[in-house]
Amino acid sequence: MSDFWFEFVEITQTIGDGLFFGATYALIGIGFTLIFGAMGKLNMTYAAASLAGAYAGLAAFAFVDAPAPVVFLISALASGVLGFVAYLTCFRFIPINNHLAALMASIGGLFFIDEMVVHATDGSPLTFPALFDDVMFDVGPYGVRGDLLFVLAMCVAGTLALLYVLYRTRLGLATRAVSQQDVAAQLCGIDVHRTNATTFVLAGLLGGIAGAMTASAVGVLSPLITVPLTVKGLIVTVIGGLGSIPGAIAAGLLVGGFENFFLYFRGVNERDMYVLLLLFIFLVFRPQGIFGSGADRD
Amino acid sequence: MLSIRDLVTSYGNIEALRGISLDAAEGEVTCLLGPNGAGKTTTLFTIAGILTAKSGAVVLNGEDMTRLRAAEVVSRGIALVPENRLVFPRMDVEDNLRAGAYSRRASAAEIAADVADMYRRFPRLEERKDQLAGTLSGGEQQMLAIARGLMARPRILLMDEPSIGLAPMIVAEIFDIIRELNREGVTILLVEQNARMALDVAHKFYLIEGGRITFSGSPGEIEQDEVIQRAYLGSRQG
Repeated sequence: MSDFWFEFVEITQTIGDGLFFGATYALIGIGFTLIFGAMGKLNMTYAAASLAGAYAGLAAFAFVDAPAPVVFLISALASGVLGFVAYLTCFRFIPINNHLAALMASIGGLFFIDEMVVHATDGSPLTFPALFDDVMFDVGPYGVRGDLLFVLAMCVAGTLALLYVLYRTRLGLATRAVSQQDVAAQLCGIDVHRTNATTFVLAGLLGGIAGAMTASAVGVLSPLITVPLTVKGLIVTVIGGLGSIPGAIAAGLLVGGFENFFLYFRGVNERDMYVLLLLFIFLVFRPQGIFGSGADRD
Repeated sequence: MLSIRDLVTSYGNIEALRGISLDAAEGEVTCLLGPNGAGKTTTLFTIAGILTAKSGAVVLNGEDMTRLRAAEVVSRGIALVPENRLVFPRMDVEDNLRAGAYSRRASAAEIAADVADMYRRFPRLEERKDQLAGTLSGGEQQMLAIARGLMARPRILLMDEPSIGLAPMIVAEIFDIIRELNREGVTILLVEQNARMALDVAHKFYLIEGGRITFSGSPGEIEQDEVIQRAYLGSRQG
């Protein structure tokens, strides 16, 4: 009985940690989904740019010994700038109906950013600062890591800020208008290009937070994270339902919990395999995602 | 007020408008009639800045609007209520109206006052104000699209086939709204396939066929039946 109890606590603890870390996946998923909602296109540079933002923050840490909050802030800002650059280079001047060209351009952007990071760091992992990593809360039999709690709090704050902008500001009204009916948006006096650029910057800011929080939770930043984070982000976007923000949040947490569950039972080498299996199951049985309605895009 | 001169617009190599000229006078309903594919929507899209004219001019009260982009056109006083409504489907009714005022950079209080004004004019929209626009009936969506256009406080309202796809009773209601708006002094350029209803509200009409204006006049001046027939079927290639 006590063996079983011990095991139960271990498993739920692992899943719980996964849910906390899953908040970063949720943010990356929101970023992908936001841009898909606006333009009907995938911005493949997104996860790479998010991590590149974190690298920019890390540079501030390495060269001027900036405190962690400043590192996180710089991460977000740098990633926002990269979002704008990605818009200009991969989307703005490519005809709106040429989806494949934009997709290929942004995949090129993904590898370009990744290569830049590899060259700047010689590809070796670098230590990333964390906040509250020496804090541990005891909740009954469970321990809550202070740094993971902070990661979750930052992701929640980022998401709330985004929702505020989307649903309570003029800018958000324009963003939603363009994503739902771009001709009518123009007729209302909304500049589609400017609004799309803003969407990329907003997504970028969010990505920078996600990138910094990912690095902060793992403790290191390495170019090896880029492709897995891109894949996780896309999985979260698809499972949540393309274009659905609540879906991305739910799917991010789901993937985070799920992957730790299999980490516990099958180890780190097999973990991602099961996450891909989860994607497969969704694609077969619920291709519209958790909150997608199937006919959501008009 | 609104004056169009020799407007030419093409899609690639195909000229959709081959030199359109027309005038819409202040306070009047001007009607553009014609069969499918004659260039009616293209004319309105070119005026609104969604499409760019190859040559010719669009002038509103002496100000040249030909090369302006859509966002600039609406802020200078031309609002288009597009064909098929094109409401923002996943926004509630109230946000749709607010989006209509986007070009004005007005204060929140001013916009709220105008929204209230729209609710007075269209009580059905007030009943549905928290409902997503995509869930409204066709007639309600058309009212919403008209109200959204009015939220820009335009000097002239362009309306593209407001009766399309609506039941006859609702069509009559929409035309009552057009008449009412005009009585209040709104200048309207109306594109319609429903020529009989349109001629009933129009002060002046133009017939467009094959990208050219082939006839113009005032209702009553000529045999209405001939106009109506040509509006539906077209005549020889103008």
